[in-house]
Amino acid sequence: MNDIMINAKNIMKSFGSTEVLKDISFTLEKGHVLSIIGPSGSGKSTLLRILTQLETADAGSLELVGKPLFTNVDGKAVYENIAQRRELNLKTGLVFQNFNLFPHFSVLRNITEAQRAVLKRDKDEAEAKAMDLLKKMNLADKAKSYPCELSGGQKQRVSIARALAMDPEILFFDEPTSALDPELTLEVLKVIRGLAEEKMTMVVVTHEMNFAKGSSDEALFMDGGVIVEKGNPTELFDNPKEERLRRFLNTFNA
Amino acid sequence: MANLIFQLFKGLNFSVRIFFLTLLFSLPFGFVVAKGRMSKIAPVRWITDLYIQIMRGTPLILQLLFFYFAPFYIFHASYDRFFAVILAYVLNYSAYFAEIYRSGLQSMDKGQYEASQVLGFTKAYTFFHVILPQVFKKILPSVGNEVVTLVKDTSLASTLGIAELFRVAQTSSSRVFSTTPIFVAGVFYFIMNYLVAKFFDVVERKLDYYE
Ligand SMILES: Nc1ncnc2c1ncn2[C@@H]1O[C@H](COP(=O)(O)OP(=O)(O)OP(=O)(O)O)[C@@H](O)[C@H]1O
Ligand SMILES: [Mg+2]
Repeated sequence: MNDIMINAKNIMKSFGSTEVLKDISFTLEKGHVLSIIGPSGSGKSTLLRILTQLETADAGSLELVGKPLFTNVDGKAVYENIAQRRELNLKTGLVFQNFNLFPHFSVLRNITEAQRAVLKRDKDEAEAKAMDLLKKMNLADKAKSYPCELSGGQKQRVSIARALAMDPEILFFDEPTSALDPELTLEVLKVIRGLAEEKMTMVVVTHEMNFAKGSSDEALFMDGGVIVEKGNPTELFDNPKEERLRRFLNTFNA
Repeated sequence: MANLIFQLFKGLNFSVRIFFLTLLFSLPFGFVVAKGRMSKIAPVRWITDLYIQIMRGTPLILQLLFFYFAPFYIFHASYDRFFAVILAYVLNYSAYFAEIYRSGLQSMDKGQYEASQVLGFTKAYTFFHVILPQVFKKILPSVGNEVVTLVKDTSLASTLGIAELFRVAQTSSSRVFSTTPIFVAGVFYFIMNYLVAKFFDVVERKLDYYE
């Protein structure tokens, strides 16, 4: 039984001539929550997008849930075949900053559609699963609503439910609260904390320093496409070793 | 009068046939053109763009004459007028629909594709279940405008001597020295467009449940 859920080695990515990720290596254990912090443009989203297959890496290697997604061959990332990519795609979920709910589907259908079309669950099973998740998100009464009728915080909770319905083994969040007002931020963070208690393996890109410090097992600071510092969040926040991280943290304390 | 109405209905029959045949072919073909216009292959893009520019940049009446007379002069071949009419309308309207489809497709949020991909939908599933319904709703008003224009444009088929509503009205008018036939034909066009507008109204309202 392999307990390493993410094993990333020397991942590189450029857009044209700009190197966005320079040499990213890290691992994440099952049941752990990793927070990724860093200034705008440091490559956090790009990294998540490579882990969730929305982008392809140029070089490096990556194992998810103990299985390779791509391996480094002669300085190039060589991807596994489509079946493997798809299998790993199903084991990962992603929650977006701006939710990306399907506006033409009801809340319920947002959560059942992929269960039915992709996992081939039958209608009753998918709906039961969706209702369970909605209850957990405190949104059972919104099942028949449409996304346009929800607040930002409610939308984000629906999108978390939509991702969870697929039973992912790793859940990624790209700034899940950045589009939300402070009160709504709290309700979403509470949900993510609840998932952490259930030992969901998660990677959260966030600007919520309290969350990163208080609710994650590991933290990682990126700047300019490299991991500048990583480790225990309390260490990282209370005792930053790198000057760049210190300066970054100061911008929040000010 | 009864005879006049009978004649006009016969004309109307042609107009309605032009109308439906044009829609039947140009609504789907417009999609092919839109795909060509957005193609990754540059020459395909240029050619479809040129085609769209020509169709939208020259009068339909001129295109009608061209599609009927060009084969005649170039190949000394003649063919059915009605076919020439439908060909001209379909090619013309496909260009307009293509541009509407393209703007609708391009206005779709990238996030909808990404969410679909992360959830594991195939490309085809994403297109038919996520993208198309939203694009459909978005472009419906523009398509409606185009269809209203088509109702009126069917009268241009008279230039090739097709005995559609307008032509029948015009000839009866000069035969009986009265504007009544023209007026009645106007009422016919008006009613057709009233129905078209109502139809789009109903569909739009059916899709009102989301934003
Ligand atoms: N598709 C793309 N094409 C070209 N450049 C891109 C693309 N995506 C990202 N970039 C560039 O890569 C760099 C890193 O972007 P990324 O979105 O990963 O940063 P980020 O750390 O998530 O920033 P933010 O905190 O603002 O979300 C930026 O300079 C960005 O402009
Ligand atoms: Mg980002």
